[in-house]
Amino acid sequence: MRQYIPFLPVVAIYGTLFLTGLLLEGMWQPMALLAFYGALGQVFNIFLGLTGYVDFGYVAFLAIGSYGMAIAASSLYEDLGWWIVPTGFVLAFIMASFLSIAVGAIALRLKGAYFAIATIGVSEGLRYLIEGTGLWGGSMGIIVSRPLREAFGREGANSLSTFWADSILYGIALVAAFITLMILKSRAGYAFLAMREDEEAARVMGIDTTRYKLLAFFISASLGGLIGASAWTLKMNYVFPSDVFDIVYTIEAIIIVLLGGSGTLLGPLVGGLVYGALKYWLAVTFPGLQLLLFAPLILVIIVAFPQGIIGILRERMGSAFRGVIL
Amino acid sequence: MKIRVLLLSILLILPSIATAGEAILIGGPISLSGKYAKEGEQGFIGFKVAEKWVNEVYGGVRIGNRRVPIRYVYYDDESKKENVTSLVERLIKVDGVRFLLAPYSSGLTLAGAPVAEKYGALYMSHGGASDRIFEQGFRYVVQTIGPASSYQRSVVDMVKAIDPSARRVALLFEDSEFSRTVMMGVKGYLKEKGMKIVFERAYPRNVKDLTPVLTEMKARRPEILLGGGHFADGQLLAKQMGDLGVDVKAASILVAPTLPAFAKTLGKEANGFIAPAHWEKGVRFNRENSKGIGLGYFGPSQEWFIREFKKESGGLEPEYHAANAMASILAYVKAIELAGTTDVDRVRDAMDRLHFVPFYGEWKIDPETGKQVGHKMILIQWQKGRKEIVWPEEAQTARPCYPMASCPGR
Repeated sequence: MRQYIPFLPVVAIYGTLFLTGLLLEGMWQPMALLAFYGALGQVFNIFLGLTGYVDFGYVAFLAIGSYGMAIAASSLYEDLGWWIVPTGFVLAFIMASFLSIAVGAIALRLKGAYFAIATIGVSEGLRYLIEGTGLWGGSMGIIVSRPLREAFGREGANSLSTFWADSILYGIALVAAFITLMILKSRAGYAFLAMREDEEAARVMGIDTTRYKLLAFFISASLGGLIGASAWTLKMNYVFPSDVFDIVYTIEAIIIVLLGGSGTLLGPLVGGLVYGALKYWLAVTFPGLQLLLFAPLILVIIVAFPQGIIGILRERMGSAFRGVIL
Repeated sequence: MKIRVLLLSILLILPSIATAGEAILIGGPISLSGKYAKEGEQGFIGFKVAEKWVNEVYGGVRIGNRRVPIRYVYYDDESKKENVTSLVERLIKVDGVRFLLAPYSSGLTLAGAPVAEKYGALYMSHGGASDRIFEQGFRYVVQTIGPASSYQRSVVDMVKAIDPSARRVALLFEDSEFSRTVMMGVKGYLKEKGMKIVFERAYPRNVKDLTPVLTEMKARRPEILLGGGHFADGQLLAKQMGDLGVDVKAASILVAPTLPAFAKTLGKEANGFIAPAHWEKGVRFNRENSKGIGLGYFGPSQEWFIREFKKESGGLEPEYHAANAMASILAYVKAIELAGTTDVDRVRDAMDRLHFVPFYGEWKIDPETGKQVGHKMILIQWQKGRKEIVWPEEAQTARPCYPMASCPGR
């Protein structure tokens, strides 16, 4: 039972966000924004934090997941009614998983900069494939507002986009955190730790590094696909390739993980909260100047917490807290 | 003495407090940073100028016997869809805005629409041109910018008016959501007008060489070319048409010819090229012209708008995004006055009946969808190194030169 204790702060934070959004007028969407960044950091951390590999093309998994939901919603709504949502999530999961296995099986044999370049190539290549071949609406993308209105009615579709899509995102974030905890506490966690510190040495010790990397890649990617399905398609109601294959999301994920603490359970969530809250607060307080102020503030935080906020906290805290904050 | 100063201060402050309390809030997320920052800046200044005109020149919105000022409220969305949803909610629930101005681009407009619909706030699209936004069944989303499908229709009208025998049309567009919507919109219209599409192709974004596709197009001997997408590809298209000697009677390219950089780069090769535009400096929509078409004129003169825009922006030239922005606020003001109330549903109903002309051109929406149907695209053409408005006739600053080879200075 003790092993589940580090999960409690995660539940407490997401619970606070959820309740704040629910109870305070006009705070649901800002809290959902924080949850999005928290979830993005968490799923990205499963691969970056555990393996030390940086996937610059990570956004492709969110994008393919958003297409999974959009395809289900736009083409099956007449037959399936509200079942398009669960079907969309299944499709998003399958599509992101397949993509991760296909990419991972090849790219994960590469290291460092070669791996990074290969993953960017996959993301951009996929985008051009969709645009060039006209697949899934090509450059025009898919808009699902009308299918959702047909399936759920006007009020139902509004509620799905502005409440349920965010609620599902909280659920995905919790699942991602729980999986991270399970990995960190398992035998695989030690294998990942060994691999991250010295991959060659880990291999010599008999760890099948490619298999473990593929495992982390697969989990991270499929959960990313579910985020894309929920936070983009269900919430925003549209998928345009130029919007969903935007490398900015990958860069944001990297910043969030490094800000909070790579390889920790709570780090990406805290990183996401700090990143999202700072951005939102600056945007509403200094509209138009927020990015000018945001960049130096992030720099200050990174300089003050070189191992990430949670990394430093764990180092400075007594051993009693180390069991709670992972 | 101190008491007198205090009383004077209170007297000076009181009206402004009363005004601020009474003001009608109009606002929205705007892209002041990120990929749409340039268009966002134009829109932002356009809104500020509109606020100034309504409050300081017009004297406020007439509701019954009262004159109520407006206040523009905004946040920077950084051109990101995640920010749009949270900012739209904040504007509605925290700031109390019921008359929203959608962010720039069709994607961002779509992102905020479900939130506006949920809370029953009006949501005016001034930068989301995609027709598909208005096919989704939204009740509170209305449009001021002309829909993308209408962009190239004016060219067809112009050609048909000058040369009814012209039939062979080539479509050569950038592969993007916007350009494809434009292309699909004009395809149906061409068939309606009895014209024949002899060549149709979409080229990828960031294209570096169009000579293979232009060579293929040339072999089909089109008389009219409709194409383009953004600035770089549009300019490349015009340049390589000259290099390959592609001779058409009229060439209308999206975006690129509307910008002064087009003529600066191409020199005399720019002459003759046409582009559709929502608004252009010099366009003649005014009180007299609007009487001619039987509609009421509302808003400042074009000269006033340009002067105030330059003052507010520190010397920037206004583009159509700014004119769009101002027309959006004018439409809200007119609709509130027509409804006689700020009740959102009654204002939405009034918008269905609203038909007026600001300096931007006609404003009328389709009651069923909220799509803009009144606004007609104007056409600009480069002639002797100058950008002239050649269509529609009531807005002309020069007659169109057709075929383009006969264009002065070419």
